[in-house]
Amino acid sequence: MAFAARAVKVPPNSASLEEARCRVFDFFRTACRSIPSIIDIYNLDEVVTKSQLRSTIASEIRKNAHITNPKVIDMLLFKGTEELNNILEHAKQRHHMIGQYVVGREGLVHDRDPKDEGISSFLKNFYNSNYF
Amino acid sequence: MGLGLLASRAMRPIKSSNFRMCARYIVTKPELQSPESAAAEAPAQPDLPPRTPVGGARIHFPNPEDAIEVFVDGYPVKIPKGFTVLQACEVAGVDIPRFCYHSRLSIAGNCRMCLVEVEKSPKPVASCAMPALPGMKIKTDTPVAKKAREGVMEFLLMNHPLDCPICDQGGECDLQDQSMAFGSDRGRFTEMKRSVVDKNLGPLVKTVMTRCIQCTRCVRFATEVAGVQDLGMLGRGSGEEIGTYVEKLMTSELSGNVIDICPVGALTSKPFAFKARNWELKGTESIDVTDAVGSNIRIDSRGPEVLRITPRLNEDINEEWISDKTRFCYDGLKRQRLNDPMIRGADGRFKAMSWRDALAVVAEVAHQVKPEEIVGIAGKLSDAESMMALKDFLNKMGSNNVWCEGNGMQTSADLRSGYIMNTSISGLEKADLFLLVGTQPRVEATMVNARIRKTVRATNAKVGYIGPETDFNYDHQHLGTGPNTLVEIAEGRHAFSSAISNAKNPVIIVGAGLFERDDKDAIFSAVETIAKNGNVIRPDWNGLNVLLLNAAQAAALDLGLVPESSNCLESAKFVYLMGADDVNLDKVPNDAFVVYQGHHGDSGVYRANVILPAAAFSEKEGTYENTEGCSQQTLPAVPTVGDARDDWKIIRALSEVAGMRLPYDTVGAIRSRIRMVAPNLLHMDEREPATFGPSLKPKCTQKMSSTPFSSAIENFYMTDAITRASKIMAQCSAMLLKK
Repeated sequence: MAFAARAVKVPPNSASLEEARCRVFDFFRTACRSIPSIIDIYNLDEVVTKSQLRSTIASEIRKNAHITNPKVIDMLLFKGTEELNNILEHAKQRHHMIGQYVVGREGLVHDRDPKDEGISSFLKNFYNSNYF
Repeated sequence: MGLGLLASRAMRPIKSSNFRMCARYIVTKPELQSPESAAAEAPAQPDLPPRTPVGGARIHFPNPEDAIEVFVDGYPVKIPKGFTVLQACEVAGVDIPRFCYHSRLSIAGNCRMCLVEVEKSPKPVASCAMPALPGMKIKTDTPVAKKAREGVMEFLLMNHPLDCPICDQGGECDLQDQSMAFGSDRGRFTEMKRSVVDKNLGPLVKTVMTRCIQCTRCVRFATEVAGVQDLGMLGRGSGEEIGTYVEKLMTSELSGNVIDICPVGALTSKPFAFKARNWELKGTESIDVTDAVGSNIRIDSRGPEVLRITPRLNEDINEEWISDKTRFCYDGLKRQRLNDPMIRGADGRFKAMSWRDALAVVAEVAHQVKPEEIVGIAGKLSDAESMMALKDFLNKMGSNNVWCEGNGMQTSADLRSGYIMNTSISGLEKADLFLLVGTQPRVEATMVNARIRKTVRATNAKVGYIGPETDFNYDHQHLGTGPNTLVEIAEGRHAFSSAISNAKNPVIIVGAGLFERDDKDAIFSAVETIAKNGNVIRPDWNGLNVLLLNAAQAAALDLGLVPESSNCLESAKFVYLMGADDVNLDKVPNDAFVVYQGHHGDSGVYRANVILPAAAFSEKEGTYENTEGCSQQTLPAVPTVGDARDDWKIIRALSEVAGMRLPYDTVGAIRSRIRMVAPNLLHMDEREPATFGPSLKPKCTQKMSSTPFSSAIENFYMTDAITRASKIMAQCSAMLLKK
């Protein structure tokens, strides 16, 4: 199987930041290309659109935008590839996908008030717990 | 008692080979018979390592030429005249095992555990009862002393049951510790052990009298410190037992301290029975808030639960005792707690809601009323930080009607000497005359009363009392019940006024219950006249005191929590109660919006429209100032309950929601704000005396009414939200209060 072969192969380290950058784009393209099959595998078409999933992938990658060490980028790429393989292997279940990539880390309950925009970090912490 | 020290001394190799034999025979030898021979073979060692006194004990020489020198194990120590051999050993850094000796009680000398060898004395001497003489050569770890202690221990264990596994004292038992050092590994007694009937001493102290070793510490504590003559020693010889002779409960407000002084498990805490072992507990050094004394306590907790409260040593405040209310109020921390923000619906029932919504509701209502219709009242358990935040918040809203309950409406916070105990609690010991005006220290401030009793016992100080009929545990003179007597003394028409002028260090204590009276200024000016005529305030002695009732009062007045208008509560539209349960809420108009911020569902909640749950004193870090002006700090021992928050954080969050953001985000920042208002509140564990005396006060023109003084506290055991929620305190008030 193609993904199994991909999983076994560990590419050599990136020589420069430029090379690492290219690999990230490669990975992003691979991930985007597998979105239709992911939606198919996990029956996600009623909860999410392709473009939403694409932007989720992009934001997961952008979370690490500040990293400049090519070794670290390689490591993160490896983790991302592994995650993608797991998803394509159906190693996950539907609720994993929904929980991690559709609903997101904040959870279903959106305790965010539009009025909360301008509040201080003290008040944000206060609403969360007594200990900060 | 340092177990390690004792054990290491016991395990020290002994020169004589007899002790190395496998089977342990009880033998006697010439050197055990005569102390001289043992002394002779030990030459004086010139270079001894310097030792540190036991427990960091310091000695005070009242008269430098009275110092005498004794030798403890060859090590010379200087001690004042009148010290006992045991005290000399403690100064030399040798901990003598003891059961009956207690430094704050009289000397009984009946356990014989503290036997030491003294050169030229034919027998080992009981060091606790023997005065040290100049040049005495004391030997504490000779075979004779060790043998003597082993003998005593064997006799003590003869009748002591082997129930350490089910004994609550296990792990903190003096007998257990010392038997590790001096106990034999087998018993020689084949007879049955003695058994003694348990006594019923009330709802606080559990007795297992079979475990008693007749040290009589509890008897001496009851008669000397607590001032109840109930306990005593009955019977003779092996029939000797501690009891009350006729079945009687121990009705003292200090009775819990016998639990601490009992060296074995004969007297243990009834509410704590079988709850925990002492090594499972986490101790947090904190401050008591049930009265204004600020006794130093240790809160022992396991996980989220407070399991017991024990005293900490503080010579200036509570010595090593605490009152029963302090010790046993902790189960109130588990009952009636508020754990969620709640709002009262149209049907009159409370509904839980989120902090976000609750604060939004409160902020909206606060903006709808006029600034002068906003009123804030701090409760009697509030800490200085939250009172500072409350005052700042209300001032930002445009209102200055904020005060602390118990302080009355016209109390002046201008002169600090007018509301603190100027003599200081430990300073009371120097007094030779007391005049108590409208205060019953026994119920209002138990530890202050214990100090007065100590002084009365030591110096036969005279006590005069003006107020309603009440119980005292020392000799006193009931001068009258109301202001009329006060005027008589002030005008010199009373016999007691000459006693005040003749006294060297007279003390006048005015109860804070008088703050609530309308003629308070007139009473205080009468008291100041008495002080002036009797020369009570001198450069070297300030004997004019106010005895406060609540933990929050002194800090509230220091921070200037004084209402602008005295009848603001009647016209209030928005009332912010910060743990205030004892204000008369009938005066609040029906259409007023009442916010209750607090930790217990007490009387304030019945009228509240919104509840904001806060942390109790065991759950937060807060500064409290006691009645003598000493700032101390509580530390969090357990986590907060449910969704509760610290008091100052709630007000800080509310201020932001209301658009009047307070400029502090951390405890450190709020303390620097306090530093601007009352810097003395940040000088922890330090008493800050008042700078100016009452002579600066303007002349009072108020007329004094002749209504007699009333008692400020009806029920000693239930004075605040925590103690009212406590089951143990309810049992105490049902069984122990005199009806």
